[in-house]
Amino acid sequence: MSNALLSKAHDAVALAKKHGADDVVASTARSRGVELEWRDGKLERVQDQTTQGLSLRIYVDGRYSANSTNDLRPEALDAFVAEAVAMTRLLEPDPHRSLPDPSMYAGRADVDLDLVDPSYAEVTASQRMAWADELETLSRQQAPEGAPIVSVATGVSDGYGERARVHSNGFEGYSEGTTFSRWSQITLKDEDGRRPAGFGWSVRRHQADLDDPQQVASDGVQRAMQQLGAGKLSTGRYTIIVENRALGRLVGALLGPLSGAALQQKQSLWDGKLDTQIVSDKLTLVNTPHIVRGLGSALWDGDGFATRERPIIEAGALRTYFIDHYYGNKMGVAPTTGGFNNLRWSLGDKDLPTLIADVGDGVLIDRFLGGNSNGTTGEISLGCGGRRIVNGQLADSVQEVNLSGHFGEIWSSIAAIGNDPMPSSASACPSVVFEGVQLSGV
Amino acid sequence: MADQSREARQTPEGGLAYFAQFGVDEALFRAAFDKALARGGDWAELYFEHRVTHSVGLEDGAVNRAFTSVSLGCGVRVVQGDQTGYAYTEDLRPESVAAAAGTAAVVASGPSRDTPTAYAVQALPDRYPVQQPWDRVDIAQKMPILTRINERAFARDSRINKVRVSFVDSAGAVLVVDSTGQISFDRQPMTRLGVSCTAEQGDQRESNGYNLAGREGFEFFSDERVATATDEAVDRTLFLFDASTAPAGEMPVVLAAGSSGILLHEAIGHGMEADFNRKGISVYSDRLNTQIAPDDVTIVDDGTQLNSRGSINVDDEGVEGQRTVLVEGGRLISYMHDRISAKHYGVQPTGNGRRESFRHAPVPRMRNTYMLPGPRDPEEIIKSVKRGVYAQTFTNGQVMIGAGDFTFYIKTGYLIEDGKLTRPIKDTNIIGNGPECLERTDMVGNDFAFDDGGWTCGKDGQSVPVSLGMPTVRVSAITVGGVNS
Repeated sequence: MSNALLSKAHDAVALAKKHGADDVVASTARSRGVELEWRDGKLERVQDQTTQGLSLRIYVDGRYSANSTNDLRPEALDAFVAEAVAMTRLLEPDPHRSLPDPSMYAGRADVDLDLVDPSYAEVTASQRMAWADELETLSRQQAPEGAPIVSVATGVSDGYGERARVHSNGFEGYSEGTTFSRWSQITLKDEDGRRPAGFGWSVRRHQADLDDPQQVASDGVQRAMQQLGAGKLSTGRYTIIVENRALGRLVGALLGPLSGAALQQKQSLWDGKLDTQIVSDKLTLVNTPHIVRGLGSALWDGDGFATRERPIIEAGALRTYFIDHYYGNKMGVAPTTGGFNNLRWSLGDKDLPTLIADVGDGVLIDRFLGGNSNGTTGEISLGCGGRRIVNGQLADSVQEVNLSGHFGEIWSSIAAIGNDPMPSSASACPSVVFEGVQLSGV
Repeated sequence: MADQSREARQTPEGGLAYFAQFGVDEALFRAAFDKALARGGDWAELYFEHRVTHSVGLEDGAVNRAFTSVSLGCGVRVVQGDQTGYAYTEDLRPESVAAAAGTAAVVASGPSRDTPTAYAVQALPDRYPVQQPWDRVDIAQKMPILTRINERAFARDSRINKVRVSFVDSAGAVLVVDSTGQISFDRQPMTRLGVSCTAEQGDQRESNGYNLAGREGFEFFSDERVATATDEAVDRTLFLFDASTAPAGEMPVVLAAGSSGILLHEAIGHGMEADFNRKGISVYSDRLNTQIAPDDVTIVDDGTQLNSRGSINVDDEGVEGQRTVLVEGGRLISYMHDRISAKHYGVQPTGNGRRESFRHAPVPRMRNTYMLPGPRDPEEIIKSVKRGVYAQTFTNGQVMIGAGDFTFYIKTGYLIEDGKLTRPIKDTNIIGNGPECLERTDMVGNDFAFDDGGWTCGKDGQSVPVSLGMPTVRVSAITVGGVNS
């Protein structure tokens, strides 16, 4: 299939050039997938999606625009490109917009990322239903007898996507990948009328790597059961464990202000902090783009640069920003890459139960709800919920809690990092213990 | 001239003419329904959509970036009972639409059903008349607005050191053809202006912004409106220099009139979307026709407000947009329905069946959600609070439908001490429980403000434009996610 998409991208470059573009980046993409949702013994929804698209970055007379369309009828496409080029000419020039020098494309890793599981093509509608049905059955079986179940919903999805990109100065790239997922959500009715839900899920590139459905089902059931009879927490400072499934929210706050756009627009508290200690020396994060079957793996980035392994934070010291070609030009610095692919953590040697035992008294946070952070100044305030830790054991469930403070300070207060990276996410977060964190409750 | 052009653009018949340019005609409908209803099915619809979105941006003083996107396709839905089969195609040839219809039909499992023999076009109101539609506005007309904003922002205060402006407009056309033979057509304009600023004062930096949006044409951007938006963006940024995080813990919160409607959206709005209730997974599932709030609380979800961001002439399954009273005098009287939930509950659909695009099946969604004004003087409400928080502007919120926990993030506000607004506060999340919070909404102001911000609501992986409104209200106790020294 790669030739077809690449050749369409080449055609689009030629078309834009014909209409007067000086330089062009053409990306073509195509995907197909099926999502199935099952609820309480029957099919709830099945959705079949097939999509195609073309996007064009146009550089003309020192001006720039980005344009996308899925109306690929030849006459429509011709008019679309002509209009896009004409519109671009009306803009003000931007001396920092250019294609990277072709030498920047060099060094692409010669590795097989194994992102395609060919079995996606063989999944049948009846298999999906059977898997979803099985997940429901497992969820109901795992719920304790008499559990106040309101509803069990489960889901199965599989998809294949491919994309190609051509730059008018020589870059050419093609990639394809599959994704499979299973999830289970169980909703219970609590005595006070609340209907807490627990959610378990698994996402992988290859079907065979998916977590055991028993585990997905059990995750949902356990988490719903634990929320029954939840109470509120007293406002105070606590030692907290943020569980691996929830930690991504804090990682996002930490890494967001590393972008070139945030730095150049003076909206980053990490401005001027390169090669200085910004967080606890227990934290080391490395961007690892070449993990085989990795959810975020890729050989080239948004500028066509070859991806490479790069430390982001080493023992608490900031080692890189996410600077793409454009903001690199604007800032007068060498670009790195626009964002991370997969994260590799310097893991600890303890699992979650051991971390809980070590903490003694504190709070396990297993979910965040809403909230936001301020990347310019570092303030953060997030809704959350979880369980109290008493004498090294998980105790009652707490809800309507809010975590707040400064995310730089929170990341500086790491007491321990777990050994349990989340496999269903490119950020692969482990559970992490933070000390002295402000939690609001009653 | 405007009237005449509207005549041609908004008449229902105009819809068939519009989509004829993509080869869409009755023969295509017939071919698609033959497949969609081949295995029975209670209901089927074809949703054709063409949307052209333009965006132009200013950064570092120059209007030097533009983005265009064209989206065209058809989604086919087949419904059997509560079950949905859905497929879409981005290729509008009859054979492609029919193939999608055949895929969607797998949800049904019976003998084929009769397909429509005649098609009738539904007459609809025009809730978003525009004088200058976006497909007739050139980028060169928009660029000076961005430049003016930039100049005004820098002139307003010397501490401003970065300004970014984004100007987005979209011209959408949708055609909904259903298995009863009803055809609904809607032209959907939308625009959103966003201004963001960064300011420096000594070694302190702050950034903030302002945006406004509506189903409006180019005429929306009067000099005055643009100037006000710019000043708001600057002032909200500078406000932060003197502000700090609120204290932590449970306390009374007074919500300012306007965008505080985000409280309704999160605390009760989502929980009243009927799909969650039909499935029994909302905290409001067994609360219909019960008192859920004090008498002064009346809450409306309204698709009929002129030119508002959440307004719809017709929803995305062919039901005319309408005004739905959800809570009247504190009593929950209606959920928000799509066709599936309406059938489940044996009521009329309320015109809340919405979707992000042809790539999604419709589900019950909010439109413009607001609380009607009550009897209290807003000053009196503030004075009633010994120690609490006055919440003025917001960025985002979220809810857990079943447990009822919800949050919203205060960007700016004040501490209330002894009945007076004192220290400015910022960046503080609030967390509460929906039903509990409604019960605690014990003072409702006699003022009201509708917010014209660019709110977008997410659900089931779908984003739709919405809006909000609120009088000043007091919630007697709720958890404020601040920091105690």
